[in-house]
Amino acid sequence: MDDLIAEFLTETAESLEVVDSELVKFEANPTERKTLDNIFRLVHTVKGTCGFLGLSRLEAVAHAGETLLGRFRDGKLEVTPLAVTLVLHSIDRIKVILAGLEATGNEPDGDDHDLISQLEAMAEGQEVDLSTVKTVEVPDRPIGAEIDAAEITAPALGVGDIDPATGRALRPGEVSEAELEAAFAAADGPEDGLKPGDIDPATGRQLRPGEVSEADLEAAFAAAEAPDWMNDSAPEPVAEVKAEPVKAPEPVKAAAPVAPKTPAAPEPAPSLGGEDAQGIATTQSIRVSVDVLEGLMTLVSEMVLTRNQLLQISRNREDSAFATPLQRLSTLTGELQDSVMKTRMQPIGAAWKKLPRLVRDLSYELGKKIDLVMEGEGTELDRQVLELIRDPLTHMVRNSADHGLEGTQERIDLGKPANGTIKLAAFHEGGYIVIRIADNGRGLNTARIREKIIEKGLASRGEVEGMNDQQIHRFIFAPGFSTAAAVTNLSGRGVGMDVVRTNIEQIGGQIDLNSVAGQGTTFTIKIPLTLAIVSALIVGAGAQKFAVPQTSVMELVRTGQNAEHRIEKINDALVLRLRNKLLPLVQLGPTLQLEAAKDEDATFVMVIQVGERRYGLVVNDVLDTEEIVVKPLATILRDVDVFSGATILGDGSVVLILDPNAMSERAGNMLEEKAAEETEETITDAGSQKVAMLLFKAGNGAPKAVELEHITRLEHVESSQIEIMEGRAALQYRGKLMPILTVNSDFSGLISAHSDETHIQPLLVFTGEGYAMGLAVDEIVDVVEDHMTIELSADRPGVRGTAIVAGRACEILDVDYYHLRGLAEHQRQPAHSSEKAVA
Amino acid sequence: MKTCLVVDDSRVIRKVARRILENLQFEVSEANDGLEALKSCKEKMPSAILLDWNMPVMDGITFLRQLRKEDGGKAPVVVFCTTENDLAHITEALTEGASEYIMKPFDGEILEAKFSEVGLL
Repeated sequence: MDDLIAEFLTETAESLEVVDSELVKFEANPTERKTLDNIFRLVHTVKGTCGFLGLSRLEAVAHAGETLLGRFRDGKLEVTPLAVTLVLHSIDRIKVILAGLEATGNEPDGDDHDLISQLEAMAEGQEVDLSTVKTVEVPDRPIGAEIDAAEITAPALGVGDIDPATGRALRPGEVSEAELEAAFAAADGPEDGLKPGDIDPATGRQLRPGEVSEADLEAAFAAAEAPDWMNDSAPEPVAEVKAEPVKAPEPVKAAAPVAPKTPAAPEPAPSLGGEDAQGIATTQSIRVSVDVLEGLMTLVSEMVLTRNQLLQISRNREDSAFATPLQRLSTLTGELQDSVMKTRMQPIGAAWKKLPRLVRDLSYELGKKIDLVMEGEGTELDRQVLELIRDPLTHMVRNSADHGLEGTQERIDLGKPANGTIKLAAFHEGGYIVIRIADNGRGLNTARIREKIIEKGLASRGEVEGMNDQQIHRFIFAPGFSTAAAVTNLSGRGVGMDVVRTNIEQIGGQIDLNSVAGQGTTFTIKIPLTLAIVSALIVGAGAQKFAVPQTSVMELVRTGQNAEHRIEKINDALVLRLRNKLLPLVQLGPTLQLEAAKDEDATFVMVIQVGERRYGLVVNDVLDTEEIVVKPLATILRDVDVFSGATILGDGSVVLILDPNAMSERAGNMLEEKAAEETEETITDAGSQKVAMLLFKAGNGAPKAVELEHITRLEHVESSQIEIMEGRAALQYRGKLMPILTVNSDFSGLISAHSDETHIQPLLVFTGEGYAMGLAVDEIVDVVEDHMTIELSADRPGVRGTAIVAGRACEILDVDYYHLRGLAEHQRQPAHSSEKAVA
Repeated sequence: MKTCLVVDDSRVIRKVARRILENLQFEVSEANDGLEALKSCKEKMPSAILLDWNMPVMDGITFLRQLRKEDGGKAPVVVFCTTENDLAHITEALTEGASEYIMKPFDGEILEAKFSEVGLL
């Protein structure tokens, strides 16, 4: 195969991609003349070029397609969905032939009569039977892959070889004369009028390819009125103009057998210069093979590593003369890296190109009216990433059309717009690109998914009962999960969303969904812009270093004994109370079972966001931030899901890169619970479990409740024993002075009760490290066990919110608040302990 | 040296034409559509133009009409070369001032013959 064919393949592939989406547009709006012109021209060009290369099978199909399109263009035929389907079929066939051509260098054998006859029938306005047309599977071409001439070409002559015909060296991009001749010899002529090879009655010889028969020409000249200027400049009579070309072929005919097939003319030097000039004038972009770009990327990656090493060395030497130039080198490397990245960037639209056609076919097949809306096609991302997300995206759009959207009639019955909408949107967010696939269909069937989870044994009935809708929905990402009642040929094969998830997670992406019954489902995919170089935090745990991709780290929180934020333990799970929210924690060292981690104190919590979930990763140390080059893991480590790769640091050490996504799995179900709570903006220590609560009355307003586990003791003391002074109260309790608090800091009740010898004051006693305090209440009502779900948030200190406990709205006491107040009293106590004045 | 401008929206066809024309001692330049061709002609009129019919932006026939209105635009020999080979098309092309009309696919011999007919060789 020569490079003309390679060039042809690239050119045609580009054209056909455009045709695909144009046709869908065209069907939606058949009056759009411009679209039809575009399609026609593209198919026409394909056909025209085929002729030059002797691709007769391809030409025949393109020709039949073109004829039909011509009918539409001339307004002689109405555009029906059937007609568009037929044209799409012929384009698929062209693609198949092209794929064969690309693979072998020759047109694959095959019969296109089925298709061509139907195309012709339709063009003639006859009945068309689509079932006779064989459907073909169109093989995917990689996105943006240039046909690499070097790869697929096995030219008879290499560039620089001497072509025996021309006697000069071939320039790049040229084909040898012999090859061209062969191509021409194989070429079929056009269908109309006389075909090459037919005998032209006027000249008495066979028409050569490219010739118009003499009769045709004569007729044309007879019909043509020469423009005025021709007559002015050439004083010959019109008849002369007419006659001359008719005669003209004669000398050619005579000359033809004599003329050497190839003029052995030496290549004139100036034409070389001419070509160069031409190149400069018109070239704004050049085609570069993907391999070259990949190679460039690898080199830059290595360079970044070396730069990091240099920086590391320089950092350890303060007076280094290298510091300034090194800084410059570092900046340049960064810029170089960015530039090389840019060459790899492609608009995501490239991965979407096939979707309009896909949706169109689906809508036809499923009998649903579907609009596809695409936003942010220009959003760019690494072509490697693009390649990897193309299939998942296609699959998801397919799912949305097949399962997500209702049938047209059902939609109308539901009072929804008849046309279902699938909306694709892409935009940048941080170092990620976010892709949303939303439909306005029926939403996920939560009940059916729940059944399926139990049926497939993915979770027990009890577990499922306790899950919220979103948790249940996420099970559609579980392996082997498919709820499609009817397996259509489109989706529902059961290799659905888990494959999608795996594909996306493989490239460091995350997928999540949000579904509202009756309103539709939205999938959100977050994928890194590039996979090759990432910013990472280098952290320490268990005497080892690990890299954590920075894009998933939201913040760092210092923790430990004296820090503001302390790690707490609830139900055996570690949490961090951060800005009034509980953050579930995963301890890096113990999770990885590092021996050395046992003696370490947690000093930092990295707040990590994975999809909609958030958790804290407890580490011993945060050492550095560094641009790391991601290297694949050794096979032996590949099964360990918490690592996504390895890298070499500036100091030459090899560290493993943590996969924040997989780590989050380690936090287990607790995570899910916490995430659910966080979305409700509430905090419930024990989730949906029943807790023992003490109900009591104190102050005015609603009854109060406090979890029993916070209370050390309940005491009933004689009011007269409580000593009250300057708006403070205290009780001698077990040999110590214990501060007494009230819920509203109002001691009037205590003062009035003080003189009453018989009044018994109920107290709730709370204890902390080395101190105790009492809370005076009016009446202890009950102890109950109930779910505690805080429904209204607090409006004043000391109250965490309002919840329904045992059928009554109760204010839930914020124990921490009283602990703090109690501690404050203790610190004030010594100064006043001598004056036990009684009011 | 004689110059020829190849106007075609297919790179493959331009390459084929360039190959043939260079053998015929032409200095070849290329244009992807009628508008590009017109721009190129305004800079420097070629001796000959090999013109395709169906092209984006500006098609061959429109280009031909515009070209003939330009200063010196009547000089170049215009050879229409396209698959549009019905009578109406050929007539239209000749009416607008095309010097010759050949069908795709063409080869070296055909092109050489046509060019010598119109006095370029």
